[in-house]
Amino acid sequence: MSGEVVASRAALGSGPSVGRADTPEPFSPSQLARIDEALTLSSRETGLTFSLYVGELADPSRVTAETLFSQLVDAHEPVLIAVSPGQRILQIVTGEGAARRLPNRSCALAALGMRASFSNGDLTGGIVNGLRMLADAAGRR
Amino acid sequence: MNIVQTVLIFAGIPAAIFAVFALAVYGRSQGRLHTRYRPGRAWTFRPVWYLPHPDGARQVSAAALNTPSALAPGTTSAPAIETTPAAAIESAQPPVGPVAVGGASGEW
Repeated sequence: MSGEVVASRAALGSGPSVGRADTPEPFSPSQLARIDEALTLSSRETGLTFSLYVGELADPSRVTAETLFSQLVDAHEPVLIAVSPGQRILQIVTGEGAARRLPNRSCALAALGMRASFSNGDLTGGIVNGLRMLADAAGRR
Repeated sequence: MNIVQTVLIFAGIPAAIFAVFALAVYGRSQGRLHTRYRPGRAWTFRPVWYLPHPDGARQVSAAALNTPSALAPGTTSAPAIETTPAAAIESAQPPVGPVAVGGASGEW
């Protein structure tokens, strides 16, 4: 399973522009704990591998998100949620296996809920709610 | 009551009460101001990519819920160090990743 870490590390190096390294972490420890719990629980319930990217998405953002998605090599049926708070863009990418359980309509519904939270400035809440909605839509494995 | 006592009672005590309330209102938010996201503001943080905790995806322990164990690619962790040679091998021969077929987009 450590291959997932490899995939993410390799992706970050060649991914979109990396911000200043001296900037603090975007999430506080309690926010990270909520995100971690949501990621882990939704992945365990559904058997899909939910992955969250928060950062700049180079234009065109959809292509960038799909490039990032293609770097999740070792993940089992990955689902990528890419959020760019600076550009106010959200992308959800599903692969062949995950798309059968998560149709585009369900992804759009989750994206709608996430957008509502994001526009209120609640980044963590939007991510957690979006993960819950996606996990509910996918159902148990 | 001399002048020092007068000043302490009529100026010092109100100032102390004022300081206590000011600290209660503004004190806590100063420390976490940088993590607050506001739509329209620039996002200056470096990109982060989180994956579900490998062990927790199978069985979540109570400890995992209390500590932020989501794997941040930018941070140095023990598994990341162990797999560095594997990363070099993978980058030499780019493996075929999953192909995106669906999803959704949104702006806010």
